[in-house]
Amino acid sequence: MEFLKSGIKTVLGSTEPGQQPSAAETVEKLVDRVYSSTLLEDRRDACRALKALSRKYRIEVGAQGMPPLVQVLQNDGQDAEIISYALDTLCNIVTSEEFDEEADNPAVSVNVGEQFTEMFIKSPEHVTLVMGYLDEYDFRVRRAAIQLITSLIANKTRELQDLVLVSPMGVSKLMDLLTDSREVIRNDVLLLLIELTKGNSNIQKIVAFENAFDRLFDIVREEGCSDGGIVVEDCLILLLNLLKNNSSNQQFFKEGSYIQRLAPMFILNSELEDSGWTPQKVSNFHCMLQVVRALVTPSNQQQVVNACQRVMQKSQLLQALCDILMSSGVPADILTETINAVAEVVRGDHDNQDELSRVLAPSQPPRPAIVVLLMSMINEKQLLALRCAVLYCFECFLYRNSDGQRAVVQTLLPSSTTDVSSLSTGQLLCTGLFSTDTLANWFSAVAIMHTLVENVAQKEELLRVLLATPGGQRPITLLEQCTNLMQQERYRIQSKVGLLMLLSVWLAHCPSAVKALLDTQGTMAYLTAQLCANEHDEREYLVQGMCAFLMGLCIQFNDNSLANQRREDISQLIIKRIGQETFCNKLGEVSRHEAYSRACKQPQIRAKGASELLLDYEYCKLYKGLEALIAKLVSGFDVDGIELTELTLSSEASALVAQYKGIIRGMDGQIQSLQLSNKELEDQNDELKQQISQEQSLKSQLADQNTLLKAQLTAAATAAQTAGQEQQQAAQPQEELNAARYQANMYFAENIRLTKELETLRQQLAAEKQRADAASQLQLTTQKDQEDLLELLADQEAKLAEYETQALPANSEATSAQR
Amino acid sequence: MSYAYLFKYIIIGDTGVGKSCLLLQFTDKRFQPVHDLTIGVEFGARMITIDGKQIKLQIWDTAGQEAFRSITRSYYRGAAGALLVYDITRRETFNHLTTWLEDARQHSNSNMVIMLIGNKSDLDSRREVKKEEGEAFAREHGLVFMETSARTAANVEEAFINTAKEIYEKIQEGVFDINNEANGIKIGQQATPTNPALPGSGGAGGAVNSGCC
Repeated sequence: MEFLKSGIKTVLGSTEPGQQPSAAETVEKLVDRVYSSTLLEDRRDACRALKALSRKYRIEVGAQGMPPLVQVLQNDGQDAEIISYALDTLCNIVTSEEFDEEADNPAVSVNVGEQFTEMFIKSPEHVTLVMGYLDEYDFRVRRAAIQLITSLIANKTRELQDLVLVSPMGVSKLMDLLTDSREVIRNDVLLLLIELTKGNSNIQKIVAFENAFDRLFDIVREEGCSDGGIVVEDCLILLLNLLKNNSSNQQFFKEGSYIQRLAPMFILNSELEDSGWTPQKVSNFHCMLQVVRALVTPSNQQQVVNACQRVMQKSQLLQALCDILMSSGVPADILTETINAVAEVVRGDHDNQDELSRVLAPSQPPRPAIVVLLMSMINEKQLLALRCAVLYCFECFLYRNSDGQRAVVQTLLPSSTTDVSSLSTGQLLCTGLFSTDTLANWFSAVAIMHTLVENVAQKEELLRVLLATPGGQRPITLLEQCTNLMQQERYRIQSKVGLLMLLSVWLAHCPSAVKALLDTQGTMAYLTAQLCANEHDEREYLVQGMCAFLMGLCIQFNDNSLANQRREDISQLIIKRIGQETFCNKLGEVSRHEAYSRACKQPQIRAKGASELLLDYEYCKLYKGLEALIAKLVSGFDVDGIELTELTLSSEASALVAQYKGIIRGMDGQIQSLQLSNKELEDQNDELKQQISQEQSLKSQLADQNTLLKAQLTAAATAAQTAGQEQQQAAQPQEELNAARYQANMYFAENIRLTKELETLRQQLAAEKQRADAASQLQLTTQKDQEDLLELLADQEAKLAEYETQALPANSEATSAQR
Repeated sequence: MSYAYLFKYIIIGDTGVGKSCLLLQFTDKRFQPVHDLTIGVEFGARMITIDGKQIKLQIWDTAGQEAFRSITRSYYRGAAGALLVYDITRRETFNHLTTWLEDARQHSNSNMVIMLIGNKSDLDSRREVKKEEGEAFAREHGLVFMETSARTAANVEEAFINTAKEIYEKIQEGVFDINNEANGIKIGQQATPTNPALPGSGGAGGAVNSGCC
């Protein structure tokens, strides 16, 4: 302190002894000097003093010093030293960090830095001025400018982002600094960019455009990848900022083959097991996993997720992640995050799901990785976050994976001849379901539930699952056991919630499961009792709401095949024992519970404490889709069982039916007209055939005549010859010969004429034939057309039938009500 | 996935001239009659072949609205090629070309190849700008010109590929400094993504570039 005072004394000149100047007065004098000194040295000294004071007397310096410091920045650009003092001083004023020197100063409030930031950026040209000093190569100036801008952004992110965006080449200039050969500058720029890219997709895109991915991967590699220091972490945080919720950058990342650069970083080297994980390595790895998840998280654009998932498999990133799952010595939080990452990499991608199902754990005997993971899930001693991650992973493995769902259900069926000694997924889940650990109950119920999501075939298969009872009596079905457990007092609420979700998903869209549930002892009575009960706490309300939903499903998907348990019977039960209003009110409890909004947010299971685990994402989806339907259905029944709603089909549905009817009517008309024209063509064809046969007979007649004539001709010729011979021998009269000649000529002419006629007839015949051919071809095509149309009609009828089955619930209500 | 060169493109021009549709037609081979306004900038990519070499095109489709102008300006500098698009059925989009061109020339590197595109050539009945006018403008400013239709896909491939050819020729002539990535050109790394030991080094390895003679 003495040093400081003496320093000030040298600058200000000594004051009168015994009169200590106040901080404000000192600052005022210094500010005066900065303003009015003609010598650069004086101004520089004053700035240096202001900088020294700015840590302890931040308010005084900030209140008076800003304009002169800006003036320095405007006018003294050629002197690096004074500029660096000015920038440093401003940085001290606006930073949100609290200095040790001012710790005991009550005037310094928490957000004093923020207020000064606001003052400073009120004129945007101040920011442009500071940005300009980024071009200055001098180390002190450039670094001070970077630090000042970083502090400004940290305090007023939105405003600064907008200012940087409008300043010409602002972002590009900042990106250039990333290639600065001085590491300190580069590292400071990383921090600046992390602040700058927060929640601003335009800046994120420009930064990515300016080759940020290349730069960052280069730095990460130079610094030793995941073994590197805090700079690696900074790079990864920036990478994460660029990718999170930015589909354009995600696509660019994928297209630029950066996933391929990320993948090798996940390969653990063998020495790690011995040397252990340093805290920095844990942080780096955590960020890397976050980057992976940012690319494939379910809330991203579906096509981006799919494309990234494909690349992650091809680049063996998925394999590296699975290897981490199965290696030892991995810290728990890294393991948890890896499980979450694997979950999202495989979610909904069949090949990746397959790959996960083939991963084997290095145990004796080797077990599938999924089995090992599920073992941790039902293990009470495991961390909650890890257990949640495993469930999430299992859910993602089953998501849109009917083969996987079937495989899990198969392990529960009696037919499967699995080795008794080896644990199966089904066995594990049953163990969890019946264990005394409430969380294991919940996890297992939700896991089984996910084998049934959108898969009616498995819902029916699971009905066949039988469990041996301890007493050695008749085996009991899984569904029955679930209803029994639900009714037991010792089974706690969380477990009941799990079971109710399992049963609800099971019953939805599966009439045979509804039938099986209605067949069990006491279930309906239990549900009714739950709904009638009144004095309970908030969590009980949730259970009541879920019971109401389950009961509603029993109506909605009831095929009326059980006497006394038909749709209207259950509706009557509700009307008489519970009351429609109460029922609908209780039904709404589910969506009013905070667990509901929490679970709806994302598929991932997030819970700070074990008690937060109540509802599941898929259950909420089902509930959301059916709640209104059930409420409408139940309130639509009258005391006498007459359904009140007039329209059995929704307006949308009836419009569709009408539309189909119209289409079919049109088709019908078309078919009739085609049939008519077809008949006409057939008639024509007959006629033509007749004509042809006539022509043919005519032709054969003519041929006969022709042969006859030919024969006559030859006869005549021979006659003539003999006549000639006779003339010589017997000197027959000339007259006779002439007559014969004449006759022969006549015959000849006649013959020519007839041949000609025959020729024309032949031609006619050929023409007729051609016409006949054409006609029959026409007929053929018409027949084919007709067939096509019939097929189309059948198709349409099938569609209509299908549609009517879809509308059946409503329809059958109508009929049953009318009955 | 490996390529010999990577070129960065931008697509610029007034709002509604069909920039996003051109990109969609080029990358996905489909046309979307109703397209939302582009917010800021969107990204697309495709591989093409020139002279037997695989060339990767990374394309940034910018918003045409004035409000985004300061954002889109940031993309000029790092691009090797630009498609400057106007709508042949709207005269004003043609009239604004000078402004666009000035903006581009001011902020881009001087070697950037600019292709002038008159889009919507399928709507000939509503044409307001003659093909000859486009040609004249291009000649005057030293641009390559083409009329395209994102709807029918006419000339869309050609527009992107010809621009790439032009850039490729400039590289062969040694006009572009290919080692400076700020030019929007990258030399392909003969990528070996499965090799953990060598995460793709800066690899200017003499794979390509024989353009000396």
